[in-house]
Amino acid sequence: MPHLELRDVRAGYGALEVLRGVSLAVDRGEVVALVGPSGSGKSTVLRVLMGLTPLSAGQVSIDGRPVDFRSRGELRALRDRMAIVFQQYNLFQNMTVMGNVTLAPLRIKRWPRAEVEAEARALLAKVGLAGREDAYPDELSGGQQQRVAIARALALRPEILLLDEVTSALDPELVNEVLDTIRTLAAEGMTMLIVSHEMGFVREIADRVVMMDAGEVIEAGPPAEILDNPRTERARRFFGKVLRH
Amino acid sequence: MNYSFHFDVVWRDFDALMQGAWMTFQLGVLAFWGGALIGLLGAALKTYGPRPLRLVADCYVVFFTNTPALIQIYFLYFGLPEAGIRWSSEACVLIGLTLNAGAYLTMILRAGFLSVRRTELEAAETLGLSVLQQIRHVIVPHIARAIYPALANFFIVILVMGTSIGAVIGVDELTGQAINLATVNYRWLEYFTVVAGIYVVLTFVASIGLALLGRWAFRVRARIF
Repeated sequence: MPHLELRDVRAGYGALEVLRGVSLAVDRGEVVALVGPSGSGKSTVLRVLMGLTPLSAGQVSIDGRPVDFRSRGELRALRDRMAIVFQQYNLFQNMTVMGNVTLAPLRIKRWPRAEVEAEARALLAKVGLAGREDAYPDELSGGQQQRVAIARALALRPEILLLDEVTSALDPELVNEVLDTIRTLAAEGMTMLIVSHEMGFVREIADRVVMMDAGEVIEAGPPAEILDNPRTERARRFFGKVLRH
Repeated sequence: MNYSFHFDVVWRDFDALMQGAWMTFQLGVLAFWGGALIGLLGAALKTYGPRPLRLVADCYVVFFTNTPALIQIYFLYFGLPEAGIRWSSEACVLIGLTLNAGAYLTMILRAGFLSVRRTELEAAETLGLSVLQQIRHVIVPHIARAIYPALANFFIVILVMGTSIGAVIGVDELTGQAINLATVNYRWLEYFTVVAGIYVVLTFVASIGLALLGRWAFRVRARIF
């Protein structure tokens, strides 16, 4: 049974249909990369999964159980198990690094403060930010902010992590520090769905690659197969462009 | 100029003037915080409220920002008794100023509401924060930081220009107290020179206090000078 499964999911903004029947599955501990041109619906898949964009048809299941996004309770339970990291980090600017990471565990989970802070320190050390607990987001580089965002997402001990182009807003030399963090998580067996344009990284880390175009999945398979021998003409053109640089 | 200043009479009444200054300070603080509560409600309605309530908030803001505070207070003081409601002059000034401040603060706070980044709210939502928790932990701190300078300026406006209106209906705040005293011995120039000095000290102390508060609570780097 897949850990996370989308079946024929449709979603859009107003009259614009962005997802036109997307089906994909992620097994427990698997890393799946979503690739495809801008506007193909990759980010919308992640937004639907987090309940930020409503789906108009289809079904999302976790561990085989369908999720009812209209139920507040189910949405809360879903967000307990799944976390997202955004392209633009979206840190709370008015809080320190520590405040960002501990807000949800303290306020929503009401876990004991000492435990939460100790875990936050451990997470920050893991993403290479030990000692920066009292800094504010605007005092950090983009790469550091993105790693705080990852630590914040991990603080709720999610089973599934969604990463939405987490390196595309970063300077090239900062990309690696974020990718290193993701490598560690993958090695630890975290189930991850990653939207990325870093094809080298996708090839290295993904167990499977799903290629999307115009709101549909057009190819899925192991990285070597999809990246090197795409079956469809559309995928060949896309990879021909992105792999060349 | 052959006017000879006699400040000694003013110094004799200095205690009374300080009492007036204390009244000014209390009126300013209460009107500001009362107005802030109204402003918060008004801004929330104008930003997120349903259409009819948005309209109510709009009418309130238009009425109170487009008419002088003096006239609003006159209505309370001279108009309400005709309807059988009799408030003390202090109450009329306080309520009038609060309503007036509420209208201005609605506009200031609304600018703050609009400056909240959607992305931060989405992050809060996906972390599982409820709407109330989002307001408390994300929206309010963000707004506070964004509009703190405008709020601090407006507090000074209320403190100096707002409260002194009280003098015309007999409230013994700083200006009113000076008028009371000067009508006894006609040393207008001396009293108002000293009173102006007290206002400067009052706003100066308030400015420093606000700047320190802003720095401590919201990391606003406000300039005092």
